[in-house]
Amino acid sequence: MDINSRPVVVKRMPERVNARSAREFLHDVRPFLNADRPQLVFDLSQVVQLDAAGVEMLLRCMSEAHKRDGDVKLASLSDQAAVVLELTRTERLFEIYETSTEAARSFSGFLPNAMRQQLLHNKRPSPPVAA
Amino acid sequence: MDIRGLLLVNGETIGTPDQAPASALMGAMDVAGKSALERMAERMRQFGMASISTVVETGPSFVVRDGVVRDGHARDTNFITATPERFWRVAEAAFNEMAQGGAELVVLVRLGAYTEPDFERLVQFHLDRGARVTQMSLGAERLEIFCISASRRNDAASLFRTQLARCRSDCPLLQLDGYFNSLAGPRELRQFAIDILTRKTHTAPAGDEARPGVWIASGALVEKGARILAPAFVGAGARLRSGAVITRCSSIERHAEVDCGTIVENSTVLPFSYVGAGLDLGHSVAGMGRVANLRRDVDVAIPDPKLMDLMPATSGKRFLAAAAEMLIYLPRLVWQSAFTKAKTPEPALQATLRQVSPIAGEADDFETTPRKPEAAQEFPNMVVARRYGHQ
Repeated sequence: MDINSRPVVVKRMPERVNARSAREFLHDVRPFLNADRPQLVFDLSQVVQLDAAGVEMLLRCMSEAHKRDGDVKLASLSDQAAVVLELTRTERLFEIYETSTEAARSFSGFLPNAMRQQLLHNKRPSPPVAA
Repeated sequence: MDIRGLLLVNGETIGTPDQAPASALMGAMDVAGKSALERMAERMRQFGMASISTVVETGPSFVVRDGVVRDGHARDTNFITATPERFWRVAEAAFNEMAQGGAELVVLVRLGAYTEPDFERLVQFHLDRGARVTQMSLGAERLEIFCISASRRNDAASLFRTQLARCRSDCPLLQLDGYFNSLAGPRELRQFAIDILTRKTHTAPAGDEARPGVWIASGALVEKGARILAPAFVGAGARLRSGAVITRCSSIERHAEVDCGTIVENSTVLPFSYVGAGLDLGHSVAGMGRVANLRRDVDVAIPDPKLMDLMPATSGKRFLAAAAEMLIYLPRLVWQSAFTKAKTPEPALQATLRQVSPIAGEADDFETTPRKPEAAQEFPNMVVARRYGHQ
């Protein structure tokens, strides 16, 4: 049984995330956000400037993703991005990972208990049928 | 005995001139209401030095620094500014002027580092040794605190020409036994504020102690709903908007503004800085469009004026800015009331609770009237809500 076959989209954020570039970025990721249960990872390693509009855009992406039962995770935060997210109290709203790979892996890491049991059960060899 | 003081301020800045929109000399930067420069001048005066001269480096690349330095210097000292290229020549000239003016000894202190030396001990040591120049040290490290015999101009000249690195003659060392802070960067600046607020230094915060551990300077405006938890300092003309919280040795320097709902924890907000609404400023030195986060050990530019901005340095400009804000406020309010969506009024709680459920209303033996109508009239505001039906 394929538990998590949906793709995880990793998107690198631009160097400067101001009102204009945030709009462009949102436009770029909109198709992914509109998908069913979107799984997105934003790589912030190149961000050298993040302003309030950028933070608002991140929150909007997260809210859109949550509406469709998905999630947005952040990875490889640059110092600038980390400080601004901490300053605006938004870092606690996101799951943040050291690398994009870790963030992408984390999407398959969480399984509800019922599904986990089901998966384990399916993997086990079936017991011999009593005669 | 005519002993005079000469203070030099150059070198370390907050923010580098090439990348920062503004930077300021560390020694001239306010910490708990006064700069290290002012505090040192005050200390020199306490030890009986009548005449104190200050030489401060200025430069065209430092936009705010001039204002900060000029505004923050000790007001009754002879204040001289010099460009970085001419700084040491100007300092030497200031020394010569003191010598010509009849000084017998000149105590020379260069900031950066803030120290609390015992000048009386230094002078006594200098006289006892019969030295031309005496220097203070901390352990093996030589401090830039000297006592110079004013008549020994050549020794002084060699000292100034080597930027206080070398002394021509034998220079005895006297160990410092007081407070020392290198003020080498934002971390030390923050530590200095903590030390002043926790009274580890002789020098005190520049304000009235409104409550134990809370110092508020004159002209500070703390709006209703803003909270200050000791120890903390609010500088002259600073403004704390409603809902702001200042805690854990935080220092809001003069004319800084902390907007609504912002939490400032273990941080320093530099003079003339604005910190936006709803932020969480922790373990940082903030101002001049930058935040030096001490926990992450990074210094980042914040170009967004909604988050961090610079307040106008002069009162006239501040007045104009406030007037402009006022002028914009009313039209914005009219615009918002005219074009924004009206909120749907929430139904009154009492009315909702008194509504009879259609199912319950149809059921037999169901009474919606209270058992004691007089009690309901007595307590009209009391509501009893039951989760499961009318039982």
